[in-house]
Amino acid sequence: MNNNRQIIYVVDDDVSVGKSISLLLKSHGFRVETFTRSTEFLTFKHPKVPSCLLLDISLPDINGLVLQEKMVQQGINIPIIFITGHGDIPKSVKAIKAGAVNFFIKPFSSTKLLDAIALAIVESKARNKKQIEIAQIWRNIKTLSPRELEVFRLVANGMLNKQIASKRGTALQTIKVHRGRVMQKMHAKTVTELIHFAQKTGIIPSSN
Amino acid sequence: MVSHSLILLIAQQKKLQLKFNSQVAMKKIKRTIPKSKKTLQALKKRPVASSVVKTNTLKDPLLDKIPHSTLEEIVRQQTDELKVRKGQLRQGADREKLGADREKIAEEQLYIRTKAMESTFDGIFIIDAKKPDFRIIYANLAFYELTGYSKSEVIGKNYFLLYEASENLFFIDEIKHSLLQGNPFQGEMIHHKKNGEKFWSLLRITLIRDKNGNITHYVGNKTDTTLMKQRELEIVQQREELLHVTRVGMLAEFVSSLAHEISQPLTAILSYAQAAARMFSGKEPQLQEILQYIINDDQRASEVIRRLRLLLKKSTPTLEPLNINVLIKDTITLIMTHITVKNKVLKYELDNNLPLIQGDRIQLQQVVLNLISNSLEAMDSIDSRDLLIRSSLKDASTILIEVKDSGSGISPENMGHLFTHFFTSKPNGLGMGLPISRSIIEAHGGHLDAKNNSDCGATFYFTLPLCLKEHHEQ
Repeated sequence: MNNNRQIIYVVDDDVSVGKSISLLLKSHGFRVETFTRSTEFLTFKHPKVPSCLLLDISLPDINGLVLQEKMVQQGINIPIIFITGHGDIPKSVKAIKAGAVNFFIKPFSSTKLLDAIALAIVESKARNKKQIEIAQIWRNIKTLSPRELEVFRLVANGMLNKQIASKRGTALQTIKVHRGRVMQKMHAKTVTELIHFAQKTGIIPSSN
Repeated sequence: MVSHSLILLIAQQKKLQLKFNSQVAMKKIKRTIPKSKKTLQALKKRPVASSVVKTNTLKDPLLDKIPHSTLEEIVRQQTDELKVRKGQLRQGADREKLGADREKIAEEQLYIRTKAMESTFDGIFIIDAKKPDFRIIYANLAFYELTGYSKSEVIGKNYFLLYEASENLFFIDEIKHSLLQGNPFQGEMIHHKKNGEKFWSLLRITLIRDKNGNITHYVGNKTDTTLMKQRELEIVQQREELLHVTRVGMLAEFVSSLAHEISQPLTAILSYAQAAARMFSGKEPQLQEILQYIINDDQRASEVIRRLRLLLKKSTPTLEPLNINVLIKDTITLIMTHITVKNKVLKYELDNNLPLIQGDRIQLQQVVLNLISNSLEAMDSIDSRDLLIRSSLKDASTILIEVKDSGSGISPENMGHLFTHFFTSKPNGLGMGLPISRSIIEAHGGHLDAKNNSDCGATFYFTLPLCLKEHHEQ
């Protein structure tokens, strides 16, 4: 397995812990970035590659749980594995609920950690894929004219051409033309696909 | 004026049956009396109104028959005589009256004193000290009620015979010794009623001496202190329970903290060894073997820590609906003596309309106790005395408890470490109280923090969520 392109971030205020984990993961071929402070991690420019964050809960500046929230706010979509020296159940429950993929109490065995990292990388790939997909949809949306965008919204909301025409006070034929362009620009083969795009970008609320 | 006075005089003479010493006066009066009688009868027969008029006009024909000079003489003499007599009489009457009044007051006082003795809750008894057998000559009602003995079993009997064999003989000797030495006695002991029932008794015996300083009586006062003792015991028990929980909490916190500190290097050692094993995989068999030993022993140490953690796993709080104000007051009773001894003044500002909270009574008491003790210590070396405990509603779902002292406040360099394990600014502090308090409050879904007051001292405050649902979400 070539892990070279994948980045494992380690945030732990204990320098020795950070260094040893880094060494261990490097021996398994990962690229590792270690930080002793949350802020250092936040300001780091994260490459768009499958990644995973090993995060200590108790940190001197911003604690792990708060960092988790900040990452969501800043759109840093990296799966988190929490590592803690305290056997703190309530905190781990909170962390998992907030989207952490795993939780380890120090000291932990390398095999279990590597398994968890492998899962996190899979998760990261999926998240990245989704992110890329959504970015592409947005790029397509940006090519739409204001009128086409409106037609896109109305179609995504399930309105028929006739309804749109009467609502807009435009000829049915015009709407049909707009709609054809929307499908073309959005690279949508079917209306269902178009609705999916709208849902993924949050233009219409997700049915799920 | 003369006639009127005379009539009055005669009337008085008859009434008082006076005896005159002066011979002259006697004769004159004897002469006067029959006439006077007639005069009197005549006067009586007259209508009242006219008699009033007559006496006022001083023109009574009957009186005209007595020569004026004689009359004047009699009147003067008799007036003098009467003045003396009246004086004598008044003195006598006053004396008599005074005596009677005194007697009455004394009687009343005696009555009140007797009633007071009878109605007091303390058992009072008097022992005749002139005889060697400690004979009881008086006991009040409370004494009979307290001991369960009847009057006939007490009066005239040796006081110490009421102490059955079950009593502590040591005390009897001590009491006797003290009294025979001419000293009062005071002591608290367990007594038995006639039916064997035990009660705590505070016994005080004082001595009565006569004018010559000889002891004539012993007066005993027996107070039933069972209820007080029970309350004292309850407080002591509660305090011990809290102390125990605190000690266990400290140990758990200590172990947890120690485990954390040790687990860090163990993690590093394990990772280093595993990294090395990976790097040399397939090479250097001897090194591989050593690395494996390191890994194994590291894991053994980890296992010890894991087991220790399990052993001292903090018990999850037993949640029950609690009135935080009641909890605060209960906690304060536990250290009220301490506060009083330290000469500090505790004030409450409790919001009586606070809804109930869900919490572990013992754990929350521990927090309140810890915060108050800290505040007291902060004011130890300072003249300020005020300590304030406030409870209030912070918002719709949170209550706020504040413990505000007027002590030395928290220095900026200490502020950041207050809740760090083993950090203490006190000479014999452990640095465990505040971290434990904080973890208790956090386990309850609340928050504990500290700030310096704008004037002086510091305030430690914590919040607690009102409903159970929120707690589970934490």
